[in-house]
Order: sequence, then C-alpha cells, then structure tokens
Amino acid sequence: MDIGPPKRIIEIEPVVLPMPEPAPEERRPAVEPTPVPVEPGG
Amino acid sequence: MSRVDVAASGTVERSTEPIVAWRSWALTGRSDGTHLLLRPVAGRAHAWRPREIATATCKRRGVLHEAPAIGCRCGLHASQTLDILRRTKCPAVLGRVALWGRVVEHELGYRARFAYPQRLRLICQFCFWQKGPLGSGPTVVGSYPRDELVPLCPAHLESAYENGMAPRRLLRADQVDQRLRETYAVDPLAI
Repeated sequence: MDIGPPKRIIEIEPVVLPMPEPAPEERRPAVEPTPVPVEPGG
Repeated sequence: MSRVDVAASGTVERSTEPIVAWRSWALTGRSDGTHLLLRPVAGRAHAWRPREIATATCKRRGVLHEAPAIGCRCGLHASQTLDILRRTKCPAVLGRVALWGRVVEHELGYRARFAYPQRLRLICQFCFWQKGPLGSGPTVVGSYPRDELVPLCPAHLESAYENGMAPRRLLRADQVDQRLRETYAVDPLAI
C-alpha cells in the first residue's frame, strides 16, 4: 500500500485506550457459525 | 515535505486523540468458523490478536529499531481513503482502526506504533477490487488450506468453482461476521 511521502510525526497518548477490556477466559461468542453444505460444481 | 525534511525538522506534535483510519486484513480461522484471526494482507507481520493492542516492531536492515521509523516503511499501516485499499492483496475484512503512540502521517495514510480495530465488516475481495465497498456483500465464507477464510458473494463463489478453487467448506457470512465482531469486541462497519 503506497501512502505517499511523510508529512509529520505525531505522538498520541490517549486518555482512554481505544480497545475493549480483556475477556474472561470462559467467555464464548453467542453465535456458532453454521456450515453450509458444499454442492459439487457449484 | 520529504522524508529527510520530516526527520530533519525534529518536530513532534502531541495529541491525546487517537487517529481513526481505514484498513483491510486477511482472515484465518478453523473450518468451523472458530479461532478467527485478523492478519496483515501482505508480508509476514504478526496477526492482530483479539483484545490485544497491535504493536509495530521492525528488524528491517538487520537492526531492531522502534517502529515506525522515518527512514523505514515499518509500522502499522492505515489509509485516509478507501480507494487505496482496493489495491491491496486478498482483503477479507474491511474496517476502521484507531492508531496511537508514535504515528507518522503520510500524504495518503499513516504508520503507527499501536493500533486496535474499531469497526469491522467482511468483504468479497473480488467485488471490492471491482466496485469498491458498495459491491462487496459476501453471503458465504469459504474455508481454504492453511486456515485461510475467504468471504465470497454468490457470483464469485460460482467463479471459484469454475476456476478449480472450490472451498473445502462453506460458512454463513453473516454468522462469521458477527462472530468476528464479538471476538474483537468491536462494532459493525456500516458503509
């Protein structure tokens, strides 16, 4: 990905980190993806 | 301002607001749709792990240095516009990403020390290449060797079969999309 020449340097120290808290080990997603049958040829 | 000018100026601006920009990723996971993991579309850089800060490192030119460095191409890349991402290799996920720490702003994008996704959405890479985000509505996710997961629209799934690229297994795209967002605890990308 060509993002061109550099323009400036910024040092960013967020007051609040833009990311979620670590999940508990036992947490599991509510949705289990359902396999779709594969049909030969298409 | 050239690379030399930026380095020579020595000026570093300071901020408390993360920059939010566009980015695409490849996607891996097991054939049952579990263990989803965002990966860079190019190179052998580290995967972006769920609920962990992505941190840039660089050993290019044989010397470990702090990323992003002005005289290098290292850092976690993101772009200011979507159009640039249409040229990336094999994108499976499109999203908005927060960048912080040391950030080098370029004319068309950014290289950052730290990042975490904010919004995510699966895309059909072929539609995205051809039409941009408006044409990228996958209905299934194909599972391929090496745990590669490829979201596909009906037309490009058919093309995959016709070209001998049949997936080993198919999953429903809406369910993988939801699971991906739950895994990374982020919001859906609406475009």
